[in-house]
Amino acid sequence: MSTGQDDGRDAGAAAMRTGLDRARAAEQAGDAAGAVRWALAATDAGDDLAAWSAAAGVVARCLPRAGSLSRKARVAVLGSYTTSQLSALLPVAAARAGVAVEVYECGYGQYRQEILDPSSGLYRFGPDVVVLAVHAGEAQLPAMSQDPAADVAAEAARWTSLWDLLVDRTGARVVQHLFAVPPDVALGHLAASTPGCRATMLAAVNAALGRAAGSRVALVDCDRLAAEVGKRRWFDARYWHRAKQAVSLGCVPLLARHTAAVLGAQLGASRKCLVLDLDNTLWGGVLGEEGLGGIALGDGPAGEAFTAFQDHILELKAKGVILAVCSKNNDADAREVFERHPAMRLRLDDIAMFSASWADKPAQIRQIASTLGIGLDSLVFVDDNPAEREVVRQLVGEVDVIDLPSDPHGYVRALASYPFFETPALTAEDADRAAQYRARAQAAQLAADATSLEDFHRSLAMVATVVPLDEVTLPRVAQLVAKTNQFNLTGRRRSQAELAELAADPRTAVLCVRLTDQFADHGLVAVAIASQEHDVLDIDTWLMSCRVIGRTLEDETAGLLVAEARRRGCRYLRGHHVPTAKNGLVADLFARLGFALAEPASSNGVRSGGAGADGVGADGLRSDRRRSDGGLPERHSGATSWLLAVDGAGSPPGLIQITRTDRELEGTAS
Amino acid sequence: MDDRLQQVFREIFGDDALVVTDDTTAADIPAWDSLAHINLMFAVENEFEIDIPDDRLGSFATVGQLRQFLETRAAAR
Repeated sequence: MSTGQDDGRDAGAAAMRTGLDRARAAEQAGDAAGAVRWALAATDAGDDLAAWSAAAGVVARCLPRAGSLSRKARVAVLGSYTTSQLSALLPVAAARAGVAVEVYECGYGQYRQEILDPSSGLYRFGPDVVVLAVHAGEAQLPAMSQDPAADVAAEAARWTSLWDLLVDRTGARVVQHLFAVPPDVALGHLAASTPGCRATMLAAVNAALGRAAGSRVALVDCDRLAAEVGKRRWFDARYWHRAKQAVSLGCVPLLARHTAAVLGAQLGASRKCLVLDLDNTLWGGVLGEEGLGGIALGDGPAGEAFTAFQDHILELKAKGVILAVCSKNNDADAREVFERHPAMRLRLDDIAMFSASWADKPAQIRQIASTLGIGLDSLVFVDDNPAEREVVRQLVGEVDVIDLPSDPHGYVRALASYPFFETPALTAEDADRAAQYRARAQAAQLAADATSLEDFHRSLAMVATVVPLDEVTLPRVAQLVAKTNQFNLTGRRRSQAELAELAADPRTAVLCVRLTDQFADHGLVAVAIASQEHDVLDIDTWLMSCRVIGRTLEDETAGLLVAEARRRGCRYLRGHHVPTAKNGLVADLFARLGFALAEPASSNGVRSGGAGADGVGADGLRSDRRRSDGGLPERHSGATSWLLAVDGAGSPPGLIQITRTDRELEGTAS
Repeated sequence: MDDRLQQVFREIFGDDALVVTDDTTAADIPAWDSLAHINLMFAVENEFEIDIPDDRLGSFATVGQLRQFLETRAAAR
């Protein structure tokens, strides 16, 4: 190991110890939230097993008291090797990813029995997420195959059939660890041209699982993680033979972090927006001193490093990360670089919100979040200046801050190692997101100019289109359900499988709404799911992307629900509001729309509507209820139910033109 | 060396008040089971940058014996 890497490891170890010391001090002072924050910061600084174990202890003791995470999940770890360390570290890694988890671990190597046996501990536990933590040695493949295509297909099918069983029986999300292909290959380089070689087949099984996963199963690419740290470090034969550790204990923290990031993305906890400094971050030098011609970009080793960093940022944008600029510069000068510098890869229209001023960065960052209509905890900040990073950490602690190394050649690696931009699936909307958010910022400007809000809304020339829930729209709808936090009445997270089930149920109406205006096609931005119970249409899920809040689309969606209730001959429309940490925005929505507060519908504050008859028995099985609640946040305190008499319902404001394409199949399906 | 060993024990067992002496055995620490022992051996190897041979892994009856082993290895460098 080179001296440079040792130095990096020592610096990381020192930062971990500092974080732990502060966590312990906060814990002793009775500051549970501070203790959790510092313990999580310690895990960011390195991958030392002992320090992670200590951080896990702090989080286990303090997180319940800190109560800072609204997302909760029950996670089952099903392993083919000794997964006790992974299971022990998963809660701290998941807390870092924004989810409080309770972990169930199956017995050593019992993953298949637990899945196949309907009375196993797994099903009694009732998981929201199942992690299949398996290793390459578990793959049922010969050292050399006479029929590699058939062997690969059979092995892939063995796993996909387990996925099917899990989804069918629990509705849980599945997180599958792909195989880390071992580095010791007897066939040598000939293996690369020998499809029947076990190492080659393992890679083929990974690829087959990738194709089969689609957007229903989330994968952790352990082969990439192992390659990143070095495969001989990932797999340590001594610990395999001693204790059946298929992942070296030194790599378990890394595996826990990435598993948690993927799991968090499934539950809507991933970060959405990258906030970029300019001077010495996107180019070398200080623009105000060097001028447009003097900054380092494109030419020379330093210039190439900044260009490579910009290229990586563009790849993040292509997968749906929103870009913002936050710089202390004159606005016109900073924009001129984007418009005129020939080596700039990023263009102005890649940036959803461009903030260059002399205001302090915490103030600029708050402005960016409010203009884009996203939470501070969706932001990730990169800046070469340690002082700016520190002030953002201290004053806007919800923002994640990435430490850039002093040398720009390390920027791509620093950003690529940041795991919380994971997305559950790519959709057509992702690639367009910057355009949509930029349009939102332009529309905000137009709103400032318009004399009345109504004039402004009319000037937007908005058209809403109700589209069917089908194989084209399902991934996007599932993504919205997983990720929408602010305009989300119940916080209920229906899985893709549940959504498909609901769409097929004639008692249930699923309204999927696209919105366009003169600036942008916002894509599919609103979802309402409502189920008929006798003469009541009960709203199971109602949410809207934060991009289109304040456009009266919620009023029009309510109008669509009233029309749906009328069409079905229902007398009442019933809604539920379950308060979460983030949906304060919709606390008064039903009152504003003319709904009346109903008597508490049941003792647990909210009815579990929609998923068929399994919620009927008052003492129904816990796992059944969990399933019908579709990932409803644990605590329902303050939940309210609201009723609207369909006959007396008023008309929506009519500032959006409504069209429908979901009714062509009327009478055959709904 | 003793401070580093003490810290490894505290972190692995998640107990900042833990004090180990040369006479401490697995029986004195309730959480010291076979799994914790593997974690402990790994963390010691990592902290002191050594490999503990397989035949020595289960051989330490007391913390003092582990400490003596580490001192011997350090002296042999």
